Amino acid sequence: MILHPGILALLLGSTLILLMLLVAGGVALRILRYWNADSGSATQLQLERQTWLVSTLLKYAFGFQIITLFLFLFTLEEIHPLFVGAMCATGSLNANLVGWLVLLVKIGLVFAAAFWLAINYLDQRTEDTPLVRFKYVTLLLLIPLVALDLWLQWEYFSGLRPQMITSCCGSLFSAEGEGVISTLAGLPVEQAIPLFFAVVLLYAILLLASLRWRAMLLRNLLFVVSVLLFFVSLAALVSFLSLYIYQMPSHQCPFDMLQGHYYYIGYPIYLGLFMATLFAMLPGLCRPLATTPSLERELKRSEPTWLRLALFGLILFLVTSCWQMVFGPLILLGY
Amino acid sequence: MIFNFKLLEYSLSSLWRRKEKNIALIIVYALVIATLGSVLLLTHALKIEAVTTLTAAPEIVVQRTQGGRHELIPVTYAETIEGFPGVGKVIPRVWGYYYDSLVKANLTLIGIEGYQEQLELLEGHFPQSPDECVIGSGVAAAFGPQIGDLLVLEDSSKRRSEFRVTGVFHAASNLLTNDLVVLQEAALREFFAMPDGLATDLTVQVYNSREISTIAKKIAYFLPDSRPITREELLHTYDSLFNWRSGMMLAVFASALMAFLILAWDRATGISAEEKREIGILKALGWETSHVLGAKLREALLISLTAFIAGLLLAWLHVFVLGAPLLVPLLKGWSVLFPTFDLPRVVDLYQLTVLACVTILPYLACTLIPAWKAASSDPDDVMRG
Amino acid sequence: MNADIHNGGPLIRIDEVSKIYHHDKPDEVRALQNISLELFPGEVVALTGPSGSGKSTLLSLIGCMARPTSGTIYLQERRISRLPEAFLARIRRESFGFVFQQYHLLRDVSVLDNLMFPLYPAALPFMVMRERALALLEKFTLSNKQKTKVRQLSGGEQQRVALARALMADPPIIIADEPTAHLDAELSSELLGILTELHAEGRTIIIASHDPVVYRSPLISRRIALRHGKLVDENQAAGAEQ
Repeated sequence: MILHPGILALLLGSTLILLMLLVAGGVALRILRYWNADSGSATQLQLERQTWLVSTLLKYAFGFQIITLFLFLFTLEEIHPLFVGAMCATGSLNANLVGWLVLLVKIGLVFAAAFWLAINYLDQRTEDTPLVRFKYVTLLLLIPLVALDLWLQWEYFSGLRPQMITSCCGSLFSAEGEGVISTLAGLPVEQAIPLFFAVVLLYAILLLASLRWRAMLLRNLLFVVSVLLFFVSLAALVSFLSLYIYQMPSHQCPFDMLQGHYYYIGYPIYLGLFMATLFAMLPGLCRPLATTPSLERELKRSEPTWLRLALFGLILFLVTSCWQMVFGPLILLGY
Repeated sequence: MIFNFKLLEYSLSSLWRRKEKNIALIIVYALVIATLGSVLLLTHALKIEAVTTLTAAPEIVVQRTQGGRHELIPVTYAETIEGFPGVGKVIPRVWGYYYDSLVKANLTLIGIEGYQEQLELLEGHFPQSPDECVIGSGVAAAFGPQIGDLLVLEDSSKRRSEFRVTGVFHAASNLLTNDLVVLQEAALREFFAMPDGLATDLTVQVYNSREISTIAKKIAYFLPDSRPITREELLHTYDSLFNWRSGMMLAVFASALMAFLILAWDRATGISAEEKREIGILKALGWETSHVLGAKLREALLISLTAFIAGLLLAWLHVFVLGAPLLVPLLKGWSVLFPTFDLPRVVDLYQLTVLACVTILPYLACTLIPAWKAASSDPDDVMRG
Repeated sequence: MNADIHNGGPLIRIDEVSKIYHHDKPDEVRALQNISLELFPGEVVALTGPSGSGKSTLLSLIGCMARPTSGTIYLQERRISRLPEAFLARIRRESFGFVFQQYHLLRDVSVLDNLMFPLYPAALPFMVMRERALALLEKFTLSNKQKTKVRQLSGGEQQRVALARALMADPPIIIADEPTAHLDAELSSELLGILTELHAEGRTIIIASHDPVVYRSPLISRRIALRHGKLVDENQAAGAEQ
């Protein structure tokens, strides 16, 4: 199973990411040990140069991680014909349940790397780089996560047996099935729609308020609500948005929309959701770290941009996911 | 945005100023990509070809096993199976393999009765008497006979049988007819010394494709010594086989990739004195490390993309225009008769993505540290001479 | 001519600055030792001293190309000696124009690109940069050479390109290291003429030179002498060189 070219590419990609993080980690350890911002010594200068290496390694790792996430989804779709009963990527995941963990870890890593890069960005714009210790300690914490990603992928792919009978999204994402996902899918549409839009509205209000006022409370609330938005949106996608996108009352798969025959609409949907979640979480996340005036200044400068990006993400997500709901021929309520 | 454009322009200028080195690198890179790309394109095309062919295959083929080995199946089983609801025609097939030690070719001999509608002729007609045959184009090429000539085969008791060739299959059709010899069933039974009442296997027609696995299960239940093989399973097998072959060849050619990466690393670290000087001057005048890094990494990306496009074009030409002459020997199976059909020209987005990941990502990762080293130079050194 | 020019504090203040290369190693060099100095806006300062006296090192430190091993440097009361590299680069880009002894031009690159490349990181639109470059080339009568590669220019032309490049960011401070080292008498006085013009525009100029034509020129408002990395009395230095 492992000798599938896509799987080889994935394992290679994840190995590269791990290697890059390990190199970055090595440098991080040195920096943590010898960093002295007030010194003009040659060692300090060398460490300063090495911070650029770490930044670049992390930026690359982040980019590669996003690529491998999509390649993973793409590969799942590609190999599904090998499993009896699988009709799409979901079937591939169900053939070896470790696959769901892989997906979870990959998404988690994308968020974690994005956070790290945001904090690094803020720190590098200050003159005194006060977050050096914090940054490099958290970087070291990323390494086990990346190793976990690689190991889980190995476990997943090596544990796949073609000809395994697996269930596809029809049974997984249907109301009759068991488990969390089926519960989500089985949420009655009359309740799911208002819940989703209520959360979206709350999010939008907090976002616009945060653009207008600088209160910490608003940002904390926004942080919480954006996490809520992420999960509620995923549930909404499975529960009813996918039905409109596929124009079928029983097709609830969240992965099929990434495929060509649905015009790859899944990409802007997930990109919008990701942007809306990440950028709205950043102000709440970074505020507690802004302990020096230099950081506060930088944060003040960056926050409006982040909030605007979050707004853009929200609009992108809503337009692409709800378009069919508003303009499409399918009518669910009352079905 | 403007800034990125300016950096890009600088990267282009920088690459062009060192064009000898860069062009050499791009050529080697493109060749590596062409090799890996050829592997992916070829196996994918073969897979598509096989899958397309298989759609014409019978929904279920029923064999009989005894002690885990293949045995001839009683023709009466066909009646049992025809009785199941949803089953159309059940046709017994007589066929077998024949190995010719002189030509070193493996042929498939098949009786005509159950098979007529699935075959396309190039010219001629199907056997109308026991001493006539129709052969695949691969057979014609290997053994030599044309329409009107004799095909001589030796059976298990060393008896020579002669068959007049009355038709040759279309060469461009597919994997399945290349090594075929079609005879009348009675003649074949005599050749193989196969008694009446037995057949090699049974083909089962199922009206509703969703019922195939249910019916297969039924057959296995009611006829316990039978082994029903569904078309789905055949497709899976082909898929796996090609994936495996593709992956294996990729793994083999990975060594080529590794060698290239070492070259790339070496070239990136061996930055020329002139380039070092240039970076030193720019840094002295106000370029930050991140700007130099950005320019160097854009250079790497430009090289990657150029090599990727060139390599892909080369691979496409190699596989679809030239017929993959360098790879085909590696894919040949157990027989000399490898089909020379026209490969379907399919390029799949997924294959491209995989190729890009396998060739571009490692290159970028490889050039990262050397680029950083170059970008980290000290502007003070410029001032001091 | 002297300190009365300024209308406020010093432009650059150097406070007990030392610079040691290869610290604690066998080839350790103490380039500067406990230098304290103030430079005021509009001054034209000449740094003199024999080679090895630390002139180039002092220029490096003033020009934000290096950081002192100890001590502090202020630019308009802003402490710059401990800034991260990115900030220093920005200051270099925006506040300083450099003319190096060996010009340090990109030889295989055209004259126009030599002027533009260094400014690419600046947030300046491409067309604005290009217009500025062309105007400068016009001023230094190099317009017809804009596409010529630098290696095809004469010494005097290269000098003018180096000067034009230094002025691209319209910097308030010009730093020149032995600018007349490769020039004959005529070109040297031409150079001094250009520097006089720049000074008239209100710029501060710092020149390191041991060419008497330069440091005895009426353009110079102050002379600073260095010897073995330390400031010395100007007359003492002048006497030693005769």
